[in-house]
Amino acid sequence: MESSRLKRVTRETLSQRFLTEGGIADRVHGQFRTDATAWGILAFHAAGGNSENLERHRARLVQEQDKDGRLCVDREHTDSYWPTALAILAWQNSASSHEAQNRAIRFLIETTGVHRPRQWFDAAGHDPLLKGWPWIDGTHSWIEPTALNVLALKVTGHAQHERVLEAIRMILDRQLPHGGWNYGSTYVFGREHLPMPESTGAALTGLAGMVGQEKVAQSLAYLQGEAARLRTPISLGWTLLGLAAWDCWPSDGLALVERCLASQSRYGEYDTSALCLLLLGALAGEKGNNVTFLASSSGRPPALAVS
Amino acid sequence: MADPQNKKMEWTMTRRDVLLAAAAGLVIGSGLLLVPKRYFRMPQRSQAFVGKVEHYQLDIAATISRGIRELGIFPEEIKGKRILLKPNLVETALGAPHINTHPLVLRGAIEAFLGFGAASVMVAEGPGHRRDTLAVYEESGLANVLTEDRIPFHDLNYISGYELPNAGRQSSMRTLTFPGLFKEVDWIVSVAKMKTHHWAGATLSMKNLFGVMPGIYYGWPKNVLHYAGIENSILDINATLKPHFAIVDGIVGMEGDGPIMGDPKKVGVLVMGRNLAAVDATCCRIMGIDPYKVSYLERADNWLGPISEAAIEQRGESITSVRTNFNLIETIPAHQGLRLA
Repeated sequence: MESSRLKRVTRETLSQRFLTEGGIADRVHGQFRTDATAWGILAFHAAGGNSENLERHRARLVQEQDKDGRLCVDREHTDSYWPTALAILAWQNSASSHEAQNRAIRFLIETTGVHRPRQWFDAAGHDPLLKGWPWIDGTHSWIEPTALNVLALKVTGHAQHERVLEAIRMILDRQLPHGGWNYGSTYVFGREHLPMPESTGAALTGLAGMVGQEKVAQSLAYLQGEAARLRTPISLGWTLLGLAAWDCWPSDGLALVERCLASQSRYGEYDTSALCLLLLGALAGEKGNNVTFLASSSGRPPALAVS
Repeated sequence: MADPQNKKMEWTMTRRDVLLAAAAGLVIGSGLLLVPKRYFRMPQRSQAFVGKVEHYQLDIAATISRGIRELGIFPEEIKGKRILLKPNLVETALGAPHINTHPLVLRGAIEAFLGFGAASVMVAEGPGHRRDTLAVYEESGLANVLTEDRIPFHDLNYISGYELPNAGRQSSMRTLTFPGLFKEVDWIVSVAKMKTHHWAGATLSMKNLFGVMPGIYYGWPKNVLHYAGIENSILDINATLKPHFAIVDGIVGMEGDGPIMGDPKKVGVLVMGRNLAAVDATCCRIMGIDPYKVSYLERADNWLGPISEAAIEQRGESITSVRTNFNLIETIPAHQGLRLA
């Protein structure tokens, strides 16, 4: 698949999921969801879609925002604030969303997971004191939400904020000794847990531009080894994004994406968030791409060295 | 004139005696508080079926159908029903198919329920560790089976939910959010894996229901449930959802450091029943685990179901004939003292 065709397919596919009242549905004829809307805006923008077309979807996200700046999966579940980082990315470079974006940034900076010092009897191998961000309020920090929040804060010029620097240390602390990341558990009762491509891709995307390559070499090698066998959108999407962030996007990337898109005949139409992750991963392979959260990291030397 | 009897009463009720009586009452009362709640509950009864299946290539559907019949479930109960099968799909690793419910057990369950006249059967899961549900679906081999059988699969992690008041009230969670899809089905069947678990002791049909809680509301891992207490959450989910049936894949289970890093353990059985607590207690005995030492089962006893061997009518194979002690790791606190005498 050529890049121009991929962009056209992305725009056409997403247009079918745009809701007339603003926002993007979780699938064709589906329901509005905040994360689907934010991922959809990012993918449509990266595919060269007209930015003015996206303003009503950005405005829908503003409507859904709580007063304290959080953006939740839905209004009934205010603890599920993990889409906040996605909204910050979706609002990037939109003058009309500037205020909402600032509120969301403030919320993220003031919010963290539940943390405590390590105890002698802890079965888990990671340092539970290092702060990142949780999926859900009142729980521990995990890899993917932390990586997403790091991306959101980096893109908006807060790469040097102490919360980001601590989050980078937290992500590095959760890196598996043999390379890669999973949802955020290294050892339990002395056994090293297994890596997962989607978590590894997210972590590497978050770390790009913030640490030297030697700190993640094994993880990059793990992800490069995984790419060819991946057939599902979330794993392949994050894998391609993670590799693109470190200038290691695979030469057969578009063929992998094409195979994954074709698998919809087997799995059914992909959920919008998953589909957009895949499309963003595909578009990330192009030099000078328009993937909002890669622009701040790819190909650049580390902004700082985190030990 | 004062009645001598009354005088005696007055004499016996000194301030000291009143204090002593109060203290004694307090001691007895406190003692009663220490007695497990199950001793104050009305005894319950249930049935569990144990069927021998030596390996996955055998006719699993026939064993499940036999189990359903021997459990006294009439075809009329299943006819026309929409059945949702909830497997245990956690994550995948090369050479470790024993992490997840085997796809051929699901195929067997599908054939059995359709054979009894179910209107439809679907499979649905929301893995707790991997955000990429489709990857687990594909890599576990389940996608091949369901695609071939034209059975729909639903990812529960991303389905908008509906709230129910927490009927278990063991944790501080006031409500539980279940996937909206559950409003469209008649029977929820937990199709679990027979495994040890490093936090809960054992994971069977009751613990398997963690996977119905959507990740978009509970996270990956479903950390909200961990903070609410794993055992509390198991009880709350089961008390609120009230699943209809359980099938536990013990053809090859997992021993040692389950639910992911443990070793395969061949037992060669399927365990089934209407009552999940009774099914899980039976599985524990087969695994050489005392169900009364598995905290959530002990707390479920005679509330969510019976766990006493005497209260569970055994159908199919006897427990003794299939008992296969699972390796327990003494350095794991949740495994300590679990071994059945």
